[in-house]
Amino acid sequence: MEELIKKIKSKQDLSPEAEAYIYSISKKKTFQKGAELIRQGLKVTKTYFVTNGILRSYCNDKNGKEHTLQFAIKNWWISDYIAIHNNKPATLTVECLKKSSVIEFNTEKINKMYALFPEFEPFQRNTLERHIVSLHQRILNQLQLTAAEKYDLFLEQYPDIEQNIRNYHIASYLGITQESLSRIRVEKAKR
Amino acid sequence: MKALQITKYGEIKDSLAFNEISKPTVQANDVLIEVKAAAINPIDKSLVLGYLDALLPLKFPSTSAYDVSGIVIEIGNGVSNFKVGDLVYSRVPQEQMGTLAEYVTVTNDAVSKKPGNISFEEAASIPLAGLTALQSLEYAGIKKDDKILIHAGSGGVGSFAVQYAKAKGAYVYTTTSTNNVEWVKDLGADRVIDYKTEDYKSIAKEVDIVFDTLGNNYSLESFEVVKQGGKVVSIVGPLDESSAQMFGMADYKLPEELAKASSDKDADYKFIFMHPNGAHLNDIKSMIEDEKIKSIIDKVYPFSESIQAFTHLASGRAKGKIVIKIS
Repeated sequence: MEELIKKIKSKQDLSPEAEAYIYSISKKKTFQKGAELIRQGLKVTKTYFVTNGILRSYCNDKNGKEHTLQFAIKNWWISDYIAIHNNKPATLTVECLKKSSVIEFNTEKINKMYALFPEFEPFQRNTLERHIVSLHQRILNQLQLTAAEKYDLFLEQYPDIEQNIRNYHIASYLGITQESLSRIRVEKAKR
Repeated sequence: MKALQITKYGEIKDSLAFNEISKPTVQANDVLIEVKAAAINPIDKSLVLGYLDALLPLKFPSTSAYDVSGIVIEIGNGVSNFKVGDLVYSRVPQEQMGTLAEYVTVTNDAVSKKPGNISFEEAASIPLAGLTALQSLEYAGIKKDDKILIHAGSGGVGSFAVQYAKAKGAYVYTTTSTNNVEWVKDLGADRVIDYKTEDYKSIAKEVDIVFDTLGNNYSLESFEVVKQGGKVVSIVGPLDESSAQMFGMADYKLPEELAKASSDKDADYKFIFMHPNGAHLNDIKSMIEDEKIKSIIDKVYPFSESIQAFTHLASGRAKGKIVIKIS
């Protein structure tokens, strides 16, 4: 929690009241590997800031196959923003890929916080902008990079994650088959 | 709900029919699955033809098939390991047979979450063949560097067994016909024996384990290739004595020649009855997600063409599993 507060303070001033409010609307939680924090089809009321571990958001398509949208490691946020924004059931499942610690926020209370403490506006805008940048970058990468380039970038973005997750998680994040991923790895080893 | 039912013993086209039946209700330990895909196996055909009447007598009409994948839509009040919305697969127990239907109830301990990296159709093709292969090879105690002969590597059980044995680090001999040699090699078998042009007995020698998926002469011949003190496991050969006793056949004796061959080689002979098991399916899920095992599908039929799917199964020409997409 202190780290999150520090992170906010690095971007803006934080009044003691605002800091106290953040503490009041958040809960530290630890989940075991395999735990589902959000489940496709159910209501979403929480958003999570990761302090330790690895989480993944994914959806099942109509054929039952998983597609990974995002991995979240230390200092990343994860939730189902489509569901929250549209007030609809979750389109994604968020699961822990290893034992993970998070700070859990109630999304309604976060919204209230912006009304109560307008001082959060720059931090919120900054967080959102970075989120949009990373999404746009991901879309552009998907459109124009080769599978091998996408994989290299993945390793850069998520260092040390590979040992902790399964190949099909990575393949389904990159939008390539597991066979392609294996081939790319073999090629990479030769380089 | 719509279901494909066995209406009597006899020819496939005369003995299967689509009927409108009531949706099953969950008991305390059941999950109710909305079926996305089902798969058919040789046993499903044998049941229709009446070949298994003595062992598994049917009441008519009886909804067909055992393999299923789908979504849990309801759970019994004694179920804590599944939730509504879980994507699952199962080989349902005998008393719950009937996966060629829009819904099926299954006792929770026969169910596992399906592998996340494959479709419902692929997942439905796995359970019966996968459990049969896993339970047979585990009974034989397969381990790294064992030499194993698996008969019919292109069959549903054989193709799974080849991959499972390779995943365990064994050296795999398998037999198949000329047309299938290449794709069976791709499954990872070390030595694919084309039984049309080669004599498997002169190639696979002194093996630790024989997995007999063919029966007839092959059960007895297994003892010619197995090493002293090895193991022969069969899913189609004669019953072994302890299995027969389980079925109440107290006086049953292993056929004389087989008993002698087994004793001469000091090699254990065991007939394996596949039993539904969710924990084993969960192990298989991990192996599929790690790409140690792939599903092999011959063809996917729409539900409305299930009877054609049975005819295709009966032809014996399928390379891989026959799957039926339900919804």
